[in-house]
Amino acid sequence: MNIDREEARRIAELARLDLDDDALVRMAAEMTKILTYIDQLREVDVEGFEEHTAEATPLRDDEPRPSLDRSSAERNAPQWTGGFFVVPKVIGGE
Amino acid sequence: MSELLALPWHEARAEVSPREYLDACLDAIAARDGAIRAFLHVNRDAAGDGLPIAVKDNIVTTDMPTTCASRILSGFRSPFDATVISRLRAQNAAIVGKTNLDEFAMGSSTEHSAFGVTRNPWNLDCVAGGSSGGSAAAVAARMVPAALGSETGGSVRQPAALCGVVGVKPTYGRVSRYGLVAFASGLDQIGVVTKTVRESADVLGMIAGHDPMDSTSSTHPVDDYASELEEGVRGLRFGVVREAIEQLTGEVRENFDAALAVLRGAGAAVEEVSVPSISYAIAVYYIVANAEASANLSRFDGIRYGHRSSSARTLEDVYADSRAEGFGAEVKRRIMLGTFALSSGYYDAYYGRAQRVRARLRHDFSEAFRKFDFLLTPTTPEPAFPVGAKTGDPLSMYLSDIFTAPANLVGIPAIAVPSGFARNGLPLSLQIMAPHFAEKAMFRAAAAYERETQFWREKR
Repeated sequence: MNIDREEARRIAELARLDLDDDALVRMAAEMTKILTYIDQLREVDVEGFEEHTAEATPLRDDEPRPSLDRSSAERNAPQWTGGFFVVPKVIGGE
Repeated sequence: MSELLALPWHEARAEVSPREYLDACLDAIAARDGAIRAFLHVNRDAAGDGLPIAVKDNIVTTDMPTTCASRILSGFRSPFDATVISRLRAQNAAIVGKTNLDEFAMGSSTEHSAFGVTRNPWNLDCVAGGSSGGSAAAVAARMVPAALGSETGGSVRQPAALCGVVGVKPTYGRVSRYGLVAFASGLDQIGVVTKTVRESADVLGMIAGHDPMDSTSSTHPVDDYASELEEGVRGLRFGVVREAIEQLTGEVRENFDAALAVLRGAGAAVEEVSVPSISYAIAVYYIVANAEASANLSRFDGIRYGHRSSSARTLEDVYADSRAEGFGAEVKRRIMLGTFALSSGYYDAYYGRAQRVRARLRHDFSEAFRKFDFLLTPTTPEPAFPVGAKTGDPLSMYLSDIFTAPANLVGIPAIAVPSGFARNGLPLSLQIMAPHFAEKAMFRAAAAYERETQFWREKR
């Protein structure tokens, strides 16, 4: 599989990573090399083997329990005001 | 070095008071860690009358920072203890510090830490392995008797091998992951590093068991892991994985053959077995693990905790700039590969295909375990490599885990046991894999091999 700079840019946007042109070129070359190795999976006979599914997750009763208190959340927040995480304006911002 | 710290914990604690032993650990860290750099944080006020233990810094603690060796978690302090930490504290363990790792446990050398490289105690020019390199080096340098690490593809066993100590990956689900920062949730498992097999059995017994806070933790009963360590291997069947030994050369092959001779000499039946799909494990691993990582690491968004870019003007910038500034090169590479493998148009060809090969791998292992009690490979294809040797070539770094990643993909337990030394003096290691939840038998087999060889007594 060959990844070019534009494909790397598309993936970086999906991954929410801001990479400049030089970084994208390097990333594309490294991904191409790794995916070329991974492409050997095409030669494996997987007839009769379906996608591995995890063991069933056990269920529990949905009972209310105390969760993290706000002051604990606030201590780690980059920006916090009046009990809320603060982010830049989403509508009509800069 | 303190002779006390050369003893296994269960022998040392009969000799001195818990306080003297803990002080000996703290003194050893002060004396040796400047050169080795195993620790990111040392708690000189650590208290507890039980086992002094170091913990990989991707396991959260309330009394110390948790960084995952990443700048994106700068300033983070967990509001809760991981379940393994709570269990250790309840058994009076003293959590003496947090150990270095590859950022978010992504790497095989601890060179991908944002806070510097951990050095191999046997040769400071070489890597300690990774990602739990700090935990392995701390035990190898006899700074602590035990350390917790975490495994996704060999991150406990591989550094344990490179540092000449015992490393255990339990069965998937054996140990609660509540408070282990998630890398690949279908593979992650907390593991143990110690000098000796007995100490590993004891520590796993302290942390294993179901936890309501981790729905993937198993309700399977926890065995008394140290109860059969003296039983030997007479009559037990060991399968030597043919596809693995075909790749071995030189002294790693010689060392492995010598280990097989030891087991045969102790009365075990040792024969070759084919596990045809095992050669594809690394290719499967780097799709499955990175796909899960790309999803798990989306939580590092600059909003709720950790680093937020000061240049971000829009919400989109907060995400993309904070992540670009906070994550290192290897983490970005893996997020990119995982995002690609899950993206529209490539999902079936990459993620879907990898999961089908993984199903075949599980099948091939269960076939092999019909005829054998254990499967054997070397833990790593080579001893520790020089710092910088593989950082420019990610694929060659990934291949360090060629013998360890299969156990994670299959979910079985595996142990790395010191098997001697290469001619350059660096440790080599034997890997014993066992069926799901067969840890007790695995410890028994490893203890028998250790008793015959005694390589753990060589120390740095």
